[in-house]
Amino acid sequence: MSQNRREFLKKAGLGALAGLGAAAGLFPAFALEQTDMSNFTDKPVPGKVRWGMLIDTRKCLGNCTECIVRCHHDHNVPDFGKSKNEVKWIWKSGYENAFPTASTQFQNPEVLERQVLTLCNHCAEPPCTKACPTEATFKRWDGIVSIDYHRCIGCRFCMAACPYGSRSFNWLDPRPNIKELSTAYPTRMRGVVEKCNFCSERLVKNELPACVESCPEKALIFGDLNKPDSEIRKLLAANETMQRKPELGTLPSVFYII
Amino acid sequence: MNKFSKFLVALAAGLAVFVAAWFFMQAGHYGSVSAHAENSPVAAAAPAPGGAPIDSSKCILPTEYMRAHHMQVLNKWRHDSVREGNRTYVNPQGEHFDKSLNTCLGCHGSNPMFCFMCHEFANVKPTCWDCHLSPMEVPQ
Repeated sequence: MSQNRREFLKKAGLGALAGLGAAAGLFPAFALEQTDMSNFTDKPVPGKVRWGMLIDTRKCLGNCTECIVRCHHDHNVPDFGKSKNEVKWIWKSGYENAFPTASTQFQNPEVLERQVLTLCNHCAEPPCTKACPTEATFKRWDGIVSIDYHRCIGCRFCMAACPYGSRSFNWLDPRPNIKELSTAYPTRMRGVVEKCNFCSERLVKNELPACVESCPEKALIFGDLNKPDSEIRKLLAANETMQRKPELGTLPSVFYII
Repeated sequence: MNKFSKFLVALAAGLAVFVAAWFFMQAGHYGSVSAHAENSPVAAAAPAPGGAPIDSSKCILPTEYMRAHHMQVLNKWRHDSVREGNRTYVNPQGEHFDKSLNTCLGCHGSNPMFCFMCHEFANVKPTCWDCHLSPMEVPQ
């Protein structure tokens, strides 16, 4: 029998392949590709929902900070006291800082002096998630740009990538700098980046985001941008709206009525 | 021995290798304890989530199992709920639970020392409480 090693392996491989094919036909519940279907029953469909927010800057006037206080309390956002270490999820910017590329020539002076509410835009094309080396920040199935704080290594690439300054870094341990500990949401630890999460912890309980709920002027409207008959879509169709830095192509999910 | 019978011998050898590999994989699949939580065939046969209300009054799995594997369960729950949006856990008895640390702390939080006694004894220092509120910090 003159059979060299190479020939034997070739034929043995062919035999294994034939066995695989025969077994796949003979056993309907074949072990190599077993999928537990119970894991898929309530999995959301990516892209079906896209949460968005519309901010009516005509109603959001004065020095009201209800939404900011409520958000920062509910999410245990620390206050380090120095702007150098500032951590913020939602804040007010001057009109020209919020819309630096919008034309301000001969603009209504009242508009130019407005303080515009700014937060994470939950972009449809988020540059931050592409910069993250550990996939700690990612776009969720419902359009929310989320951070997995367990996985964040604090490299701050996402902060450099975000064109809106929506992300803050915990330079110090946030725990001792939280005035009133809220039980609604965990805190963070030193060395992670944090930002607005569109209140995903409230959305699972079928509640509106804390800022929307707390606004006394009802200037914030929250809803599903992919649903044509939602309130936010109707208002977007009926009003002239703006997004922040639209020319960057990040497709923000936060819109403004000026 | 002609060429054809040599071919048949090699074919049989290949089949033997395949059958051995298959049984090896089967043993690995059902033999390990950690397969209990994720791949239990009873869980697969349970009614679809959304039908029954979420029950958080009793423990999701037997105490013995939870004592040894709560960290794997919590890791899987975190991945499923945070990254995949699948928040409902169905245990082998067909009961539904929210995949959240709060499901555990809903009962176990009543004992402020629940986590700490064991972790202290085993000399393990999990980082859960760097961020999450521990039973010691939550007002009773």
